[in-house]
Amino acid sequence: MAGSNGSNGQGFFTTRVDAILNWARSNSLMPMPMGLACCAIEMMGFAGPKYDSARFGSEAMRFSPRQADLMIVAGWCSYKMSHAIRRVWDQMGDPKWCIAMGACASTGGMHRCYGVVQGVDNFLPVDVYISGCPPRPESVLHALMDIQEKIRNEYSVVKDYAHGEAASRTPVLPENSDRFPGQLEKPKTPDATLETVSATARDEDDDPAEPAVA
Amino acid sequence: MSKPDNPRASNPKDPEELRFHYTPTHTSGPEEETDNPHAKDTTRVPDVIEALREEFGDVVLSLDRYANEDTVYVRKERIRDVCRYLREEENFDYFVDLGGIDRFTDEDRYEVFYNIVSTERQKRIRLKVRVDETDMRVPSVEPVYRAANWNEREAYDMFGFDFVDHPDPRRMYMPEDFEYHPLRKEFPQLGVPGSLPLPPQTPDGELTMDPFAAARGSQPVKSYEEPPVDQDSE
Repeated sequence: MAGSNGSNGQGFFTTRVDAILNWARSNSLMPMPMGLACCAIEMMGFAGPKYDSARFGSEAMRFSPRQADLMIVAGWCSYKMSHAIRRVWDQMGDPKWCIAMGACASTGGMHRCYGVVQGVDNFLPVDVYISGCPPRPESVLHALMDIQEKIRNEYSVVKDYAHGEAASRTPVLPENSDRFPGQLEKPKTPDATLETVSATARDEDDDPAEPAVA
Repeated sequence: MSKPDNPRASNPKDPEELRFHYTPTHTSGPEEETDNPHAKDTTRVPDVIEALREEFGDVVLSLDRYANEDTVYVRKERIRDVCRYLREEENFDYFVDLGGIDRFTDEDRYEVFYNIVSTERQKRIRLKVRVDETDMRVPSVEPVYRAANWNEREAYDMFGFDFVDHPDPRRMYMPEDFEYHPLRKEFPQLGVPGSLPLPPQTPDGELTMDPFAAARGSQPVKSYEEPPVDQDSE
């Protein structure tokens, strides 16, 4: 695993639980194919052998919302269907991500019409929009890679001791205060809080039991 | 060139048959009728129209011919009798389609059209009735052709016709409490804001009544805390 330290041929490596969790999560996305129109055909191409989303670990399309964590809304969404989509979305377990695939799902597209929702972001928290009518399967792959990058930059567990409420109660250990060891990709924003935490840790290295004041 | 008396005879290798023909927009004479293979004379039933005229007299208002197809305008009070006659006497056994038209004129604003096929003759006939805005009642043809049931419901949904004696006069597509008839010309293209509810922004929230909530800054809550985007890193 890239960025791991201290294996030295000893048969083990160390990393941060955040990094390995995000690594696992981003490489095993299970899409919920909300295929509503012709975009769903391109979505099948995206999952099929030629474009092969299995290379990114998300070939397992799950038609059951309980087992999915990425909803791909492919196609135009009518007002009648929007309630079903929102219900399926609410049934998906957290954390979950959403792709609005194609012009219709993003903005209503050519369906400038009383029966079609003008963009599913009116009722869903969309993460990535794909343009195109319909988009090429490459575009869907690109959107999937965007979602993966987003997941890798998230604070899933580190939030508990560096950002969240628990941070004030956690002793700062030197190995914790390193900035993102074991992260696959450097986060785009190592934010100021982490800087403070590592600065505090470096200053007070002799007293690791001191609680961090973030 | 297919023979006009046998509409099923067709030779796909005949280059003459592959030639593109414009559908004539003017009233065509008899010599042009066989010239256009795309306007086959399956919609020409002069003998049936003649029989209708004899049976019903001035109930048959007029006869319109466009693109080599006949359209019979019928007085709307007798449309069910005309359909029953066509079904029982003239073997028009297959009800294909029914729908509404909004012509947006001052009088006789709406039309309802009926496409009926005789599988025995391999001929089709198109009937139309004119409906004025002040009196939206049209006799339902559902007692004659049961296939008309859903089509009449749809026409009621979209235009607001009152199909008398329809057994199940509910809306077809729009919700029961929808107040408008969307295919009328005066209905706005994007709909009336707030007439159709969107799902709530949170699992247990209120319905979203603004169809353009995102454009007005509404942001549905994400299930995770999004890291802030660094503009410089791109």
